[in-house]
Amino acid sequence: MNRIQNKILSLTGIVLFIMAAIWMTLTYYSRQTQEQYNAILQRYLRMNEVTGASQQTITDLNNYLIRPTPENLEQLERSRERLRQAKYDVYALRNGDNDFDLTSYTNLIDSLLDAANRALMFQSQMATEDSNEAFNEATRISRSISDMTLTLLDTELKTYDRFYRGIIERSTELNRLGIWLLATITFLLLIFAYWFALSITRPVQKLTQAAKELSRGRFDQKIEVSSNDEIAFLAKMFERMRVSINNLITEIQQKAQLEHELQRNRLLLQESRYRSLQSQIHPHFLFNTLDTLSKKAYLEGAGETSDLLASVAGLLRYSLRRMDRSVTLYEEVRVLRQYMDIQTARFADRLRFVEEIDESCLYVQIPGLTLQPIVENAVIHAVEPMEDGGTITFRVAEDGDRIRVEIEDDGPGIPPDKIAQILKGSAQETEGHTTGIGIGNVVQRLRLFYGQDDVIDIESGPGSGTKVVLRLPKIRRYEGNEQRSDRG
Amino acid sequence: MRKTIVLLLGIIGATLIYFTSASAYKVFRDDLRLPQTPLKQSAEYRLVLITQELETPFWDKVAAGAREEAAKHGAMLAVWGSYNNDSDEFLKKLEIAIHSRMDGIIVQGLDTEAFKELVKYKAASYGIPVITVGIDVPDSLRRTYVGSDQFRAGQMIARQLVEDMGPEGTVILVRDSGNAHYQEQRLDGIRSVLESYPGIELRYAETQGTRDQVIAAMQDLMNRSPDAQAFIAANANLTAAMVQEIGRRSRVKPYHIYSFDDSPDMLTLLREGLIDGIIEQSPETMGRISTSLMIDWLKGEKLPLDSKGYHTEIRLRKAVDAP
Repeated sequence: MNRIQNKILSLTGIVLFIMAAIWMTLTYYSRQTQEQYNAILQRYLRMNEVTGASQQTITDLNNYLIRPTPENLEQLERSRERLRQAKYDVYALRNGDNDFDLTSYTNLIDSLLDAANRALMFQSQMATEDSNEAFNEATRISRSISDMTLTLLDTELKTYDRFYRGIIERSTELNRLGIWLLATITFLLLIFAYWFALSITRPVQKLTQAAKELSRGRFDQKIEVSSNDEIAFLAKMFERMRVSINNLITEIQQKAQLEHELQRNRLLLQESRYRSLQSQIHPHFLFNTLDTLSKKAYLEGAGETSDLLASVAGLLRYSLRRMDRSVTLYEEVRVLRQYMDIQTARFADRLRFVEEIDESCLYVQIPGLTLQPIVENAVIHAVEPMEDGGTITFRVAEDGDRIRVEIEDDGPGIPPDKIAQILKGSAQETEGHTTGIGIGNVVQRLRLFYGQDDVIDIESGPGSGTKVVLRLPKIRRYEGNEQRSDRG
Repeated sequence: MRKTIVLLLGIIGATLIYFTSASAYKVFRDDLRLPQTPLKQSAEYRLVLITQELETPFWDKVAAGAREEAAKHGAMLAVWGSYNNDSDEFLKKLEIAIHSRMDGIIVQGLDTEAFKELVKYKAASYGIPVITVGIDVPDSLRRTYVGSDQFRAGQMIARQLVEDMGPEGTVILVRDSGNAHYQEQRLDGIRSVLESYPGIELRYAETQGTRDQVIAAMQDLMNRSPDAQAFIAANANLTAAMVQEIGRRSRVKPYHIYSFDDSPDMLTLLREGLIDGIIEQSPETMGRISTSLMIDWLKGEKLPLDSKGYHTEIRLRKAVDAP
């Protein structure tokens, strides 16, 4: 990850590098220029040194000729040595342009030294006239040397004229370069700094924008930051947070909907119970009376009537008691049998009831009074209107992780739009039902109880009968629902 | 919008970088070392040409010829000298040349003691060969002379005069008082021709070199000889003042005026038709031959040099020839 710190460090590093490079170049350049100036000055100084040395020689020679003391001789010797040295130095300055003059120049120096020697020699031989003559000649030569120095300097100026002008031009150009360099570096740094600042602030801005969106409650927009620093990391975390918040909210909404439906069903249940209570004003009196009637019938030898009455009483009791709690399938089947006993008594041969039950499956939990309304529905629609009656087949079997319960009749069937209505839970017909519970009520309760929609299915075609299939999970999904319904 | 800004910034950046690098190139392009003109290895001989009349057409031509020849042989040649016949400066230069031990000295002759002294003793003691050019000083022990045969030049002028003027008349010879060898030679040449014409009368005017003196001498002469028909200036330097003085008195045209070309104003006078003819010498040839002889002598290829001298071509140029 390219961290912001690294970015700042690299920016600083680049700036430093540029500065150092410029500083070093300029330092090197100024050193070169310095050396160049030194070289030029050296040339002039050396040429000037010859003039100085030759004049010094003449002065010392004169002193010695007037007062020939050892000190003066020593002085003369020194200045002659100086002149000789100056000659060597100046000889090194030869180039194509001053070759001629410089050779003449050095020769003049030699002539001067010769003349001085001659003056000394004549002096030692006491030939004063000749000595003076030689001295005069030396003086003239010295003067010529001075003139020649000027000529040489002049040549020097001419030779290097362009060069000197070049130096001046270059120094003005250097000033210009400084200005250009300043402008360029300023420009580049501004651009670079802007770009750099943008690379830091743009992700922050995006993040701010995203936070604003979130605070407005819009959780569905993806947060994307395409940088590679800490901000991107922050954005990634932020994005993850957004996704989980979004999921949570969706879940809460689903739950709220579920709660709402539950509430509705409870109201539905209460309504039906109220209705049943209305129709059974004195249930216990009725049960007791039915029991008494049953015993009476038994005592009078009408066993069949007695059983029938017992079944009616059981069914009624069950319907009052078990409406709002879960029971096992076993109990439901028992009540169903009682109900069928009653109906068999009513329809005699017209009603044929077939059971195919796998007894090992009867332990599953199921909401109370689920099967009875369905079977009753079958009786009402498939047996009652038929002259020849009908057959109702009841099956319980294992089907994978579910229990399959089928109630099949051979009646005229249900039209598809009616089926759809029933499955949506919006069918509201309770007329003629013993327990006052319609099939729509059953469908909704089953779905709520198991927490899934595919518990019930209806297969039907015109004239081919109807088959209601319940596919009950062996294990309920919402265990909590049972508790709640128990309390209710 | 954004595209425009980026484009604009790009252009600004490119411009700045271009100018910066152009400037940097200019600054760092040149080598910082002093330029060294390479030494010419083959330059064995250092020669010097010394004249009293620097930057006159005549001596410029001599110098050009000498330089050309020197360059051909790879010798170095410098041209030194004085201006306007400044003989003191001229002698000083000659002495410096000797003291700086030139390999050879080519010098315009000057017929004075000091000159002879320098050439005879000083140059000889330093072992420097001296060749006179243009003007000869035979008794100075110069190695040789390169230039016109002055005697013959005098003869040519005299013959032309006779042709123009006829065998009778008065001729005034103007000379300076220096008695220089070359002037004597010219006069001898003139005399040698005119002697044979008894109808021609020769008169001499002697003057110092300066302009005022020339004018004074001319006034005096013309007062004394109003019948003069022709003038010959043996020293070209006197001609201009002479012509000027004649022009002040009368028209110049009728007079026959002749001179030599070794003075800067001669060509102008000739072109204007103020003088009738001059002796034209060959300065470039003089320069060339003198240098060549010097180099040959230094190389030891031509020993000994003819001490009588090597004469260069002369011809007479008349006013009508002038372009």
